Amino acid sequence: MSIFSSGFARKTLGLMTAATFILVLIAILSIWMVVRTQESAKSVASDREVRIAATVILTALLNAETAQRGFLLTGKEEYLAPLASAESGLPGYLSTLRKATRSVHENDANITRLQELTSIKMRELTRTIDLQREGRHADALMIVNAGEGRTAMDEARNVLGQIIATAESRVGTSLGAMEADARQLAWVTGIGGLSIILFSLMALHFVKENTAGLVAARQKVMELNTGLEDRVAERTTSLTRANEEIQRFAYIVSHDLRAPLVNIMGFTSELDVSTTALKTYFDADEPTEEQTLAAKRAAAEEIPEAVYFIRASTTKMDALIGAILKLSREGRRELKRERVDLDTLFAASAANLQHQLDTANATIEIPQELPSVVGDRLALEQVFGNILENAVKYLAKDRPGLIEVAGEESGGRVKIRIKDNGRGIEEKDLERVFELFRRAGTQDRPGEGVGLAHVRALVRRMGGDVTVTSTFGHETTFEVDLPKKSRIKEPHVESL
Amino acid sequence: MMSDPSKAAHVTIVMIEDDEGHARLIERNIRRAGVTNEIIPFQNGTAALSYLFGADGSGDTNARRALLVLLDLNLPDMSGVSILEKIKSNPNIRRSPVVILTTTDDEREIQRCYDLGANVYITKPVNYESFANAIRQLGLFVSVMQVPTTD
Repeated sequence: MSIFSSGFARKTLGLMTAATFILVLIAILSIWMVVRTQESAKSVASDREVRIAATVILTALLNAETAQRGFLLTGKEEYLAPLASAESGLPGYLSTLRKATRSVHENDANITRLQELTSIKMRELTRTIDLQREGRHADALMIVNAGEGRTAMDEARNVLGQIIATAESRVGTSLGAMEADARQLAWVTGIGGLSIILFSLMALHFVKENTAGLVAARQKVMELNTGLEDRVAERTTSLTRANEEIQRFAYIVSHDLRAPLVNIMGFTSELDVSTTALKTYFDADEPTEEQTLAAKRAAAEEIPEAVYFIRASTTKMDALIGAILKLSREGRRELKRERVDLDTLFAASAANLQHQLDTANATIEIPQELPSVVGDRLALEQVFGNILENAVKYLAKDRPGLIEVAGEESGGRVKIRIKDNGRGIEEKDLERVFELFRRAGTQDRPGEGVGLAHVRALVRRMGGDVTVTSTFGHETTFEVDLPKKSRIKEPHVESL
Repeated sequence: MMSDPSKAAHVTIVMIEDDEGHARLIERNIRRAGVTNEIIPFQNGTAALSYLFGADGSGDTNARRALLVLLDLNLPDMSGVSILEKIKSNPNIRRSPVVILTTTDDEREIQRCYDLGANVYITKPVNYESFANAIRQLGLFVSVMQVPTTD
């Protein structure tokens, strides 16, 4: 997972957009609902007004009729008070009703009819009362009996009843709608809220996931960093070692190659001196005794000696260059990787040394089982063959030789120890034996001082190391520490 | 402690040089400078040390002798530096002058030798004229030098 995951950004951004969208939707819906509720409330109020106005008119008409009846029965003027108030109030009540009806967008045709009916009714009432006052009681009753007033009253009651019923039903509908709206709003808000919570949880999950990814990535970076430091340290050590080796190598080569050169130059000049002595002797008509002696010495000793040394130095130089070339070739040789059984390898090496072993009255003990390694067979043969050969070569003369081989394997590494009871190496020479052209101890065995330098270079190329411990005069142990599976290094600088 | 000048003739030159040719060239040039002192050559460190320190390794046998050591640093069996160190830390022979005569001209090596008590450090030049000159001058030096013996 990359640190700035575009997937993460896209997901969280999407969730945030969705949540915001839902919030805005809820807000718009709420506002819309409020507006609707307000409208509904307004219409409910108007309908109430219509109903109240209608009721007031009906009451006024009934009051007026009751007053008329009372007056007609008793003839007492005091019964007429409600009629007077109804007569004066009705026009106002009617206009109120009309206004209210208009405000609810209701047809006001029936109001006009109601107006007519009320005026018919009121006229009838007024006439009967006037007749009663004039004392014409019978005429008044006749008008009542005629039924014109009753008909008008019935129709008015009908019309008013209708208006009231309509208004009430409308109030009911409005209230129902308001309730439904409120319920809807509650649902929308609830679902919206739940969605926002859900989105938040999802976003939280993504954030957690991403954070976990970031932490893991950081962890990995840190691990890589540590690994890198280790690798740098490892490389630095190996480079430092290589550098020291190359310096030592250059030092050794420069000295060892220079030494025969000094001889060649020197004895060439000495040849000059000798030939001059000969020339002086031959050129002289009568050579002196001293000249004769010098010429004799030159011819008999000095010239052959010079030639001998020049020849020897040339041979030596050739041998040195040959050894360096051999090391260089070996160092450049591509190492192969194959499984090598060390017990078989040691058995073969011991067989090769059998003649030397017999001569030196020595035995080699090789365990039945030795670990196997993955490495270059030829290189391993050279390494162990060389160490065994040295062990046989530098045995002590005063006791039978015993060379013991032991091996162990642990933690992906194989350690082989070759121990001999030979003459041993002095402590100061322990490191020196691995140097090119250097040999330790009494120089009574042939050799050029190349073997162990070559062994160390080979072992190091296979990713291992070789060390030596010794008790001078008693025993020597070479330990070769190899990786179980060697990774082949670039040709080692030591072996240029 | 100082020996008298006439003793210069009795100085024995111990030459530790693994290269026979070099040894021969050094000897010839020393002789050419008129030095007739005995020169005892050794081709490796082990033999030289057993001569210098005697069989018991104490150096007693050479305590009363006047020795001059010519020492090559690159020997097959041990480093000349360790021989120098041994000579300079042995109470019986540490006053014997040691002349380092070697092909190595490494600065640190030279410093190290002087630190350890080397008296002269001469680099063997490849050029023979210079080589012969250096040795002859060394020979002249030997003929006039005072070499102490330890009582």
